[in-house]
Amino acid sequence: MPELPKKKVGVIACSGEEIPEGTITRLAVRQVLEALRPQQTVTICLPLFLAGGEGERAFARFHPTIAVDGCEKRCAARGTEMYSGKPAVSIVVSDRMPTDSSDLGNARRLSEAGMQVVNNLADQIARQVDELLELEWDGRSGRPFESAKPQEESKPAQATCSCAAGIPVETLQVAGKEVTLIALPVIFTQFRGAGKLPCNSTKAELIEALRIYNPIPHEDEAAYAEAIIQKYAAFCGGGN
Amino acid sequence: MKENVLVVPCSGIGKSLGSVAREGAYVVTEDLCPEKTKLLPLALIVLGEDETRAELSSAKAITIDGCVRACAAKVVEGAGGTVARALQVLEVCRRYPDLKPSGISELDENGHQLAHALAKEVKELVDNMRGEVTHA
Repeated sequence: MPELPKKKVGVIACSGEEIPEGTITRLAVRQVLEALRPQQTVTICLPLFLAGGEGERAFARFHPTIAVDGCEKRCAARGTEMYSGKPAVSIVVSDRMPTDSSDLGNARRLSEAGMQVVNNLADQIARQVDELLELEWDGRSGRPFESAKPQEESKPAQATCSCAAGIPVETLQVAGKEVTLIALPVIFTQFRGAGKLPCNSTKAELIEALRIYNPIPHEDEAAYAEAIIQKYAAFCGGGN
Repeated sequence: MKENVLVVPCSGIGKSLGSVAREGAYVVTEDLCPEKTKLLPLALIVLGEDETRAELSSAKAITIDGCVRACAAKVVEGAGGTVARALQVLEVCRRYPDLKPSGISELDENGHQLAHALAKEVKELVDNMRGEVTHA
């Protein structure tokens, strides 16, 4: 399997600047990224789906995503679905709040009650991360149990932002249609590095590797294979 | 009656400069000129609903971006808004080289000072746009 950016859970906050619940989403997501699940999570600024490129828009197709919204408008969930992919989980702060909204402080400065909601929400997001990654968590050590799915990285824990580090994608023509394939550049680099020539057996292997990250309709498989092998031949010949 | 100026900070959640943009927008719209400005959340513009588009088309906007991706400026323009000035926090940073902000959830003192410096620049722009030039 290609060494893509490690599959993590994407957590997207609405960050709504107008209401305290928006600030709560922002702070809770930061808490998950920085303290609770730094190795397992990554974020992206919601507007980057519009302002960024295909790499950013591939975010929710590559990472299972949790959208965290402050209000019922659900900007994060709807925006993510419109421009990237359907979130695996959608959480709305105002749906689950035991506290009256007026007790939360304001968008700029949360009250103690507001900060308590931040902590509870962060815990809830972290549990959802574990469920999505099927992680079992050891509460005493604050780490996944040894038997859990490996998500380890050798780098020290740090919150990760996908800004300017989008998922590698490439667009090509398949049967007259433009399709964007996640991971194609990385897979090409790895195949060429392994000395694989652009021949029929490589064509089948390429399709299998791409299928891990992209839906390839059965009826279009031959057209995909042809377009991909031609692209790979050009890639190998071009010395990229 | 003069129209309010919309202030649209980026939603930057991965870097300190995004937090400076957000805090600077609060300082302008809540402290320095609340009667002349209105904060418009970027997430709402991303959704592109009619109500938000109408608000965008009714007034000029100052966008404040924390990084060169310029999400706020691009999204406002894409939604049909008029960007009177697209500010980059990085530009303000260059004018105040001693203020190196850190922290995202909680900005440090440098971050707050930079946000105030940014807010003062936005206030001047707002006054200029409304024909109320206050500086000599």
